[in-house]
Amino acid sequence: MTVIEVRGLTRRYSGGFEAVRGVSFDVERGEMFALLGTNGAGKTSTVEVVEGLSRPAEGTVSVLGHDPFRERSLVRPRMGVMLQEGGFPPDLTVTEATKMWAGTLTSPRPVDEALSLVDLTHRASVRVKQLSGGERRRLDLALALLGKPEVLFLDEPTTGLDPESRRNTWELIRALLREGVTVLLTTHYLEEAQALADRLAIMHRGRIVAQGTVSEVVDAYPSRISFFAPAGVALPVVADVDTSGRANVRTNNLQETLHELLAWAHANSVELSGLDARSASLEEAFLAIAEEAA
Amino acid sequence: MRAVAVGQAELTLFWRNKTALFNSLLLPLLIAPALMAANAEGVPLIVGLVGFVLLMAVYYNLVTTFVARREELVLKRLRVGELRDPEILFGASLPSVVVALGQIVLFAVIVGVVTGADLPSRPWFLVLGVVGGVAVFALLAAVSSAFTRTVEMAQVTSLPVLIACLLGSGLFFPLSVFPDGVGSVVRLLPLTPVLDLVRAGWADGPVLQPMIVLAVWIGLGIYAVRRWFRWDPRR
Repeated sequence: MTVIEVRGLTRRYSGGFEAVRGVSFDVERGEMFALLGTNGAGKTSTVEVVEGLSRPAEGTVSVLGHDPFRERSLVRPRMGVMLQEGGFPPDLTVTEATKMWAGTLTSPRPVDEALSLVDLTHRASVRVKQLSGGERRRLDLALALLGKPEVLFLDEPTTGLDPESRRNTWELIRALLREGVTVLLTTHYLEEAQALADRLAIMHRGRIVAQGTVSEVVDAYPSRISFFAPAGVALPVVADVDTSGRANVRTNNLQETLHELLAWAHANSVELSGLDARSASLEEAFLAIAEEAA
Repeated sequence: MRAVAVGQAELTLFWRNKTALFNSLLLPLLIAPALMAANAEGVPLIVGLVGFVLLMAVYYNLVTTFVARREELVLKRLRVGELRDPEILFGASLPSVVVALGQIVLFAVIVGVVTGADLPSRPWFLVLGVVGGVAVFALLAAVSSAFTRTVEMAQVTSLPVLIACLLGSGLFFPLSVFPDGVGSVVRLLPLTPVLDLVRAGWADGPVLQPMIVLAVWIGLGIYAVRRWFRWDPRR
């Protein structure tokens, strides 16, 4: 079942700037879809329209079968949102802020349960202004989960979290996905998308420039072998030698090319110092896309 | 009422905010003796205090509340929840409105007892004036907040409404001192019809024109809030 359907979404700001240009994607039930992109690529502008905060200039958006802007009252009770920068009154305690939010919801979880999901129980009576950045992020996540949402929007959910809290948050999100919650994630931590997302899209200047599963996106980019080449030797493979003397080889068949190179080096007693071979990663794909598009 | 949850949180914040407490609770108490000295009669005193409460406890407090919650990104957060826009504004206004109504009742009783003023003969006009006044000044506060970048700036951005309303309400000097043309323009300011209606609770006076002017202000206020109110900080 398709939970989020975006077709030809364009968003224009007053002044005519097009932040999003003809974006389309689907998210299935129980799936995590990640939107990646450089700063200013249009991720948050896209997500705000899907959340129903503003209406698209062109195109259509459907969440759980409804228009999130015009049929907001049908969609909102079933979704949870964690904004990139959510706000809480600094002088409320964690419990007071959570209770306030619970009071606005149709069927909230108990406040204690929501706080224990994000490990904030021990900070329940602390004022929001005394929380660390990571704790504030977790409070924001607790509020997003308070209404037992079927669809969850997470905008940079782990910014400012220490490594342990980040792992815990990932585990929590995985558990939600297993329960059938649908998640739309925006992040600039590529390893987060690689670890959690079923499918992803990379945005650049308002457009989606690559879309698919992690391996579909990554496989389109070559693996890389690099080493310092001895001077005056003819290499058996095509390589770019950069100014530091390091040779870079790009290949779509890492194993075969590497074998060829090593066999040649062995036969000719050539030492390849600083040898490094790596499969394409999301990070390399991302950097290559950003470079290409620049 | 889902908006009450926001109102309760706001009330907690109100008790923790010393400036707001001072403006809404102490300031009117300091002003009351000054007005009492100037006016020996009970009814004009009650009318004047209603005006002050609407301007300070409702209008000024709400400008700062709306700006503070916007800059703290609280309004933005609330907007991705289930509440509708009017519910968010209503909830955020609740404590100021409750405090203001409490003050008005308290002042009216104290002044009434001290000066031996009569009970209002037409109390419904009094109620209409107060309720309409709360509505119009809450709306004006929301509009003013759109033009106010920081809580501190509220002291400046609220001045046009505060000064115009004080001068034009007939609180300090009768409106008859103005030349004819100016006098009738000044009657169109938002506080004037409110106080006319409050006065009409005790004495025969025009009620139709103030009711129309007040209704127009509320309509304009709703239009302006929809058009200009800002939910996100200016960046």
